[in-house]
Amino acid sequence: MITRDVTIRNRAGLHTRPASMIVREASRFKSEFFIRKDGYEINGKSIIGVMTLAAEQHSTLTFLLEGPDEVEAADALEALVERGFGEPI
Amino acid sequence: MPLSSLLPTAPKNAGLPLTEGERVFEGIGVAPGVTIGPAYLFEAGAWQAERVEVDGSAVDDEINRFERAISRSERELRKIVTVAEEKLGAESARIFDAQELMLRDPVFYEAVVNRIRSEHVVAGYAVQSVLDRIRDRVVGADDPAVRERAADFDDVRNRVLRNLQQGRAVSRIEPDRVVVARSLTAADDVLFSRRGVLGLVLDFGGPTSHFAIMSRALGVPAVVSLHGMRDSVHTGDTIILDGLSGRVIVRPTEDTLARYRAKQARYEALRDEIHAAPDVEATADGHPVSLQANVEFREELPLLQTFGADGIGLFRTEMLFLAQGRALNEEQQLEVYREAVRAAAPYPVTFRLIDLGGDKVLPLAHREPNPFLGWRGVRILLDKPDLLRPQLRAMLRASAEGPVRLLIPMVTELGELRAIRAAVKVLCAELEAEGIAHDPNVPVGVMVEVPAVALLADRFAAEADFFSVGTNDLTQFTLGVDRGNDLVASRYRELHPAVLCLLDRTVRAAHEAGITVSLCGELAGDPRATALLVGLGFDALSASPAYLGLARRVLTSLTLPDAQALAQQALAAHDAAEVSALLAAWLHEHTPDLAAVLTGDPIAPDPLSLDDV
Repeated sequence: MITRDVTIRNRAGLHTRPASMIVREASRFKSEFFIRKDGYEINGKSIIGVMTLAAEQHSTLTFLLEGPDEVEAADALEALVERGFGEPI
Repeated sequence: MPLSSLLPTAPKNAGLPLTEGERVFEGIGVAPGVTIGPAYLFEAGAWQAERVEVDGSAVDDEINRFERAISRSERELRKIVTVAEEKLGAESARIFDAQELMLRDPVFYEAVVNRIRSEHVVAGYAVQSVLDRIRDRVVGADDPAVRERAADFDDVRNRVLRNLQQGRAVSRIEPDRVVVARSLTAADDVLFSRRGVLGLVLDFGGPTSHFAIMSRALGVPAVVSLHGMRDSVHTGDTIILDGLSGRVIVRPTEDTLARYRAKQARYEALRDEIHAAPDVEATADGHPVSLQANVEFREELPLLQTFGADGIGLFRTEMLFLAQGRALNEEQQLEVYREAVRAAAPYPVTFRLIDLGGDKVLPLAHREPNPFLGWRGVRILLDKPDLLRPQLRAMLRASAEGPVRLLIPMVTELGELRAIRAAVKVLCAELEAEGIAHDPNVPVGVMVEVPAVALLADRFAAEADFFSVGTNDLTQFTLGVDRGNDLVASRYRELHPAVLCLLDRTVRAAHEAGITVSLCGELAGDPRATALLVGLGFDALSASPAYLGLARRVLTSLTLPDAQALAQQALAAHDAAEVSALLAAWLHEHTPDLAAVLTGDPIAPDPLSLDDV
């Protein structure tokens, strides 16, 4: 089980488009994926969960991953956030 | 008809999530009655599933059906995403993409499967329950960006239910439900009443809308103007609807339920008693006051008999035109007018010439900046003889079958009255020459709705054959208030002493000139005002038939000197609130059973009652 702290970089924050990108990316991996924010923990493979996180620009999230490909998954997901999901930063 | 003069107030349990606990809403009651039943959320284009149980052995089948519906929905959404990317852009496409992800989201999918398994319900109901619960949390979120996502859950629900072919597209309404909707047309109303709905609750709408009139005509209790209460209700929640006070209570506590069941029983007992009461149209001391009906639609004609109306005090002819979306010719109008005259026989029918404009603008008319003060009523009629002529001829021809009176809307000048009279004379001569039967002495009266007429009532009374006071418009013009404007609607008070002053003046002038005066605005149907109106001296009250029984109950409980004393007190009051209090006190003293139904239980004071007593 590994954790990564990430900060949302893009201006529009974690709206529907980034939310679906995260879920699609996470679903490529076998590992379980949870996102922790402000004491809430939601299943990162659940679009409903991620959509309702509503993380704004500059907010911090903790990614938790557990499984055989946890490192790969963590790297990929962290990169996605770092790139700002390809949106204006 | 606003028996409640209160603005909608904030829901009682402001701190709790919208969809938990008892919630009380204040709207405008437009059709009387107390109704208690399960809610049914009506949404155009939406699907609703009913809770249906399945056999233990059928559970696996049900789960398979669910899976197939999900697959179909997925394929649909993938296609939509592709098209959306091309035509709408990346952001819109992402929304459908997210909806597609929702279909297999464990939070949704597994929850549905679990529900089917544990509750043995059909997939459609399980889908709806799960999504509604998620949607509720989303609707209650602080972040507006999150709240907006509620629509996505509705879309997914509709798509899956459609693919399940379960639940019904909205045109099928179950009987014995209280239908909750954002808005409804009068046509929906007719449909629902035929299906046996218990009551109707709307977010939008006003007391003079077609829907309101239709509800009264059909006898379906209804409350409008609830401003978003729909978000607080689920299909299946128990709802209490009080069509007299305009109060709606969702998910009532046992205590509340018991109190309203008692109120319902009281109302029904009173209503039955009123129905059985003899059709008397006079005060307890024998002073006659005619109780007549306001009519717009054919559906309302049978109600004349049911509610014992002594004729039609106001037949609003513009509704015929609006319903058809075009002007009717002479023959078409004649057919309807004849039907009305026959239904009212032997009592008279007062046909008001079409009053279009204001809030009833013809769709094709050019937009006026202020239609309310614009080209309407008699102004249009005198400018357009091709509208006036067929209508007058049809009314005159109908007069051959029974007593008819003609009423001119929106009069401000004596010249207008004289012009219409002249037109009637010309047409009578025409009909005479054609050998067509008609009454050559049809009385011609004026609407008293513009303050100018009330202020010069003596001059108009000298030339008109009768007066009919339209308190709705008279109040708006006198107080300078648009009752349809939420920001100021609370200032629309027909009981404002200034309005009463004009009423008094009008009645005096009428009687001095030896003509009759009736009141045909909504106030005529408000039993709290009956004593006041009789005391002011009105010869007739014309209201929606559904309220005549209540008015009669008050009428037969009062003596003229009593009512006159009340009227004098009201005229001396300083504001509408004072008048309201006077009327309420009078009602409690003279008709306590009616007061109990209108204002709550006087024996066990109702803490929820916000009525102004």
